[in-house]
Amino acid sequence: MEILRGIDLAVPQGQTLALLGPSGSGKSSLMAVLSGLERASGGSLSVAGEDFAAMGEDALATARRGRIGVVLQAFHLLPTMTALENVMTPLELAGLPDAHARAEAELTAVGLGERLHHYPAQLSGGEQQRVAIARALAARPSLVFADEPTGNLDAKTGEAIMDLLFARRAEAGATLVVITHDPALAERCERVIALADGRIASDSTA
Amino acid sequence: MSPWRTAWTIARRDLSARFKGLRLLLVCLFLGVGALAAIGTLTGAIERELNSRGRTILGGDLEVAVWQRSASADETKAFAEQGKVSGGMRLQAMARAGELAAPIELKAVDANWPLVGKLALKDGRSAGAPPAGEAWLAEGAAERLGVSPGGTIEVGTQKLKVGGIIADEPDRLGEGFTLGPVVIVAADFPARAGLTAPGAMYRSKYRIALPGSRDPQKIAANLKKQFPSAGFEAKTRDRAAPGAERFVARMGDFLVLVGLAALAIAGIGIGGGVASYLEARRTSVATLKVLGATSGDIARIYLLQIGVAALVGSALGLVAGVLVTPLLASALGSLLPVAPGLVFDPGALGRSALYGLLIALVFAAPPLLSARRFPAMALFRARVSPLTQNWRDAALPVGLGIAAIAGLALLTTKAKLVTAWFLGGALALLILLGALGWAIRWLAAHAPRPKRPLLRIALANLHRPGAQTGALVTALGFGLAAFVTLAAIQTSLDANIMARVPQQAPDYFVLDVPREKSAEFQQAVKSVAPQAQVRMVPALRGAILAYGPESAMTRVADLKEIPDTAWPLRGERGLTYAEDVPEGNTVTRGQWWPKGYTGEPLVSIDERLAEALDLKIGDRLTIGLLGVERSARIASLRRIDWDSMGFNYVLVFSPNAIADAPHNLAATINLAKGTERGSLLRALVRAFPSSSVIEVGGVLTQARDLLRQVSLAILAAASVAVLAGIAVLLGAIAAARASRTYDNVILRVLGASRRQLLLLQLAEYALLAALLAGVALVLGSGIAWLVVVQLFEFDWLPDWGEVLAVLGLGLALVIGFALAASLPLLGARPAQALREL
Repeated sequence: MEILRGIDLAVPQGQTLALLGPSGSGKSSLMAVLSGLERASGGSLSVAGEDFAAMGEDALATARRGRIGVVLQAFHLLPTMTALENVMTPLELAGLPDAHARAEAELTAVGLGERLHHYPAQLSGGEQQRVAIARALAARPSLVFADEPTGNLDAKTGEAIMDLLFARRAEAGATLVVITHDPALAERCERVIALADGRIASDSTA
Repeated sequence: MSPWRTAWTIARRDLSARFKGLRLLLVCLFLGVGALAAIGTLTGAIERELNSRGRTILGGDLEVAVWQRSASADETKAFAEQGKVSGGMRLQAMARAGELAAPIELKAVDANWPLVGKLALKDGRSAGAPPAGEAWLAEGAAERLGVSPGGTIEVGTQKLKVGGIIADEPDRLGEGFTLGPVVIVAADFPARAGLTAPGAMYRSKYRIALPGSRDPQKIAANLKKQFPSAGFEAKTRDRAAPGAERFVARMGDFLVLVGLAALAIAGIGIGGGVASYLEARRTSVATLKVLGATSGDIARIYLLQIGVAALVGSALGLVAGVLVTPLLASALGSLLPVAPGLVFDPGALGRSALYGLLIALVFAAPPLLSARRFPAMALFRARVSPLTQNWRDAALPVGLGIAAIAGLALLTTKAKLVTAWFLGGALALLILLGALGWAIRWLAAHAPRPKRPLLRIALANLHRPGAQTGALVTALGFGLAAFVTLAAIQTSLDANIMARVPQQAPDYFVLDVPREKSAEFQQAVKSVAPQAQVRMVPALRGAILAYGPESAMTRVADLKEIPDTAWPLRGERGLTYAEDVPEGNTVTRGQWWPKGYTGEPLVSIDERLAEALDLKIGDRLTIGLLGVERSARIASLRRIDWDSMGFNYVLVFSPNAIADAPHNLAATINLAKGTERGSLLRALVRAFPSSSVIEVGGVLTQARDLLRQVSLAILAAASVAVLAGIAVLLGAIAAARASRTYDNVILRVLGASRRQLLLLQLAEYALLAALLAGVALVLGSGIAWLVVVQLFEFDWLPDWGEVLAVLGLGLALVIGFALAASLPLLGARPAQALREL
């Protein structure tokens, strides 16, 4: 089955981009392909100067290190690790020397300075998503993907989380790709692409 | 940071201090490695002890024994040419002191005894042969006769002063099974006491200490060749206690099998443990991939975690193995020639740990490799869209690992054939159970859909994507088969003890009744016990030297190996002659000789021996009797009722064949109930001082105890495999439950009641267990039969009622545990359970 068809898309460095569309339109698949979490069965893909289409599973994982941050709807924190350890792990995988200090600073920046040693089960949904954002941004990636980052949160917490995500991104000057059903959230992005049936239905830049 | 250090940092962080999720792996490694460590340590200790003490145990480098005579001058000269010789005699005798009498083993030794080691006496002296007119008494003999040093006892026609009580007799183990406590006397005593008259049942032993590094086996073979009719029984220092060694070797084979079985069963548990651990970690693996972990990182992280758990499990197993060795040794008790205490055997422990780690790695490889192959998003989705297993990735490491395990097993065992069979058998079993798992899935998929929804879901659970049917079939198959095996072995051994040790047996065996005093003996018994029944037969000893058709006779000395079924060919055995077919015997082929037969010497032989040696009516048999060869033609074959504990002879000759050889009679005495025994014993000892009386009751108790100990040892060892089986069984159910948690929570959300969910579990496991019960029965009985009949040569007498009851218990355990494992989940509120998914 073909999920994505005829997608022709270029995203400049530093742009904020919202992917809109009904369920099954291919948003998550497009994000998975762009971030190297899935490999496309055809076509070409260049991310930050690297040919993702030609890379294997391990090369993609290495390419993500320090350069791509991913925030998922279900948070996907490592349940056996504390908030601090969750944020430290990608930094350590990338071989960065000051993982502990960076992670601590990042968690403090998202307002969790007091919750460093709590396990995910001891945190609220909003707090878990803040840890996920800290984890995605701690390595100062040039590209951040967020798959419905507020989908599991109430409106107020969701808004606070998005404020945080946009603020941290702006500080880092990273490109941000957000998947959302929320038109208000999409409006905060410089560019909005609507997908339908695996194709780009519309592409508008503010 | 190096990739391994990074991996270790993450692995340590992720690893629960209580090894949550890895406990099945820990338990299985603990059991498997512990069993192997204990077994390796014990057999190693026994072998080392037998090897290092062989010379002391034998009392020299070489021992040559002959029955009913002393060595001839030529033979003595030939022994002396080899090295320093110590000669002596062993015989059953009766000792008395005042009104007390006791059967003893008389050990007459010359001035050179002991060639190796020293005899220690209770008073602290170390001594050699006692001076003329004195004796060293074993504690048991002194107790029964009520004497202490300085006292007097009588043996045969002579008096002896008790010179000391034995504390340690260096060559005790080499003497083998005896029917009474030992009394050591000077070499010339038996003759002076009238115990060596022609025909008396005594054995002369000559121990030789060889100079330098001469090979005792070669010398033994040369001596046998030099004196082919002498009937020499030779033992060498490397096989000082052949009975003990044969038992140890057989027990060793069995223990190796138990160890391998425990490890194979534990291996399944380890595999299940690793697979379920990685399954539980699947989302974490996916998250790590999202965060930039490569397949190498993933492999390193989880390899380190599993490695740590494996090391901890193995280390605990090693400690348990070392600690349990003295317990195992005490369970085997007097069956063992040595009593090892706490032994630390680095070789055995290293091997056990290596087995455990290799097994853990082999079983960890497939799930680890498949986890690293899949993209992160596929791993996230795997709960609803199971990953397809690709065995090609794992084929090489798994193949290499299995080859390494098989190589290690074959290289480090003496029982290579047994081990090779076991490895082949285990592989075949795994394939069989794998195929069965596949067949059950196929059947479940193609069976008509039941109308009842619970049954339909239970049936669907057996074949749907992600079903644990394969793992459960293997674990349940092995686990239930282990139950059946243990029950079948136990009931068979119990029945053997009942059948082999007769409940009805004579009260006394009497040896060396002079043949001319037959009537006097009967009279002596009747005068004290008028109701007693006395049976007497001529008793001789000789060795089979050659057998077969007259034109092509096989000489026993030329045989490279004597098959187990032809045991009468080993050394000398009891011979007799008779006018009539002996009581309890049936002629199955040929003709019994007529009364007063005077023609060509004839012999009647046991039909099982005839079958083992392919002997036919008309073939010839040559025996060595008191150093002289005699031949007879086989006239008939007999079936012997070995269970009747009376006189049972493999070879019965026509009187004209051997009656002229000097010999005595042997007698059995059956007493009427309530007869006073002490007076009969005293009367016999007084009237027949050169005869020896064996109290059958004591021997039977000894035999029963010995068999009970064998049975206990076999069961104790086999229980290790069963324990591993139970651990695997419970582990597989726990793992299957974990994979079913998601479904159960969803079903609860959809309105299923707790009762319905319990019934669903019950239906699924009952379906599976019912299908596997038959397989386990066949499999378990087969393995038990191999152990009981092939390995230990007992009869196959399982109590099927009990076996089925135990199998039922196993099934109840499976179902009970499956239900119990679901209870915590059923008790939880759906919302809470959903949050924990």
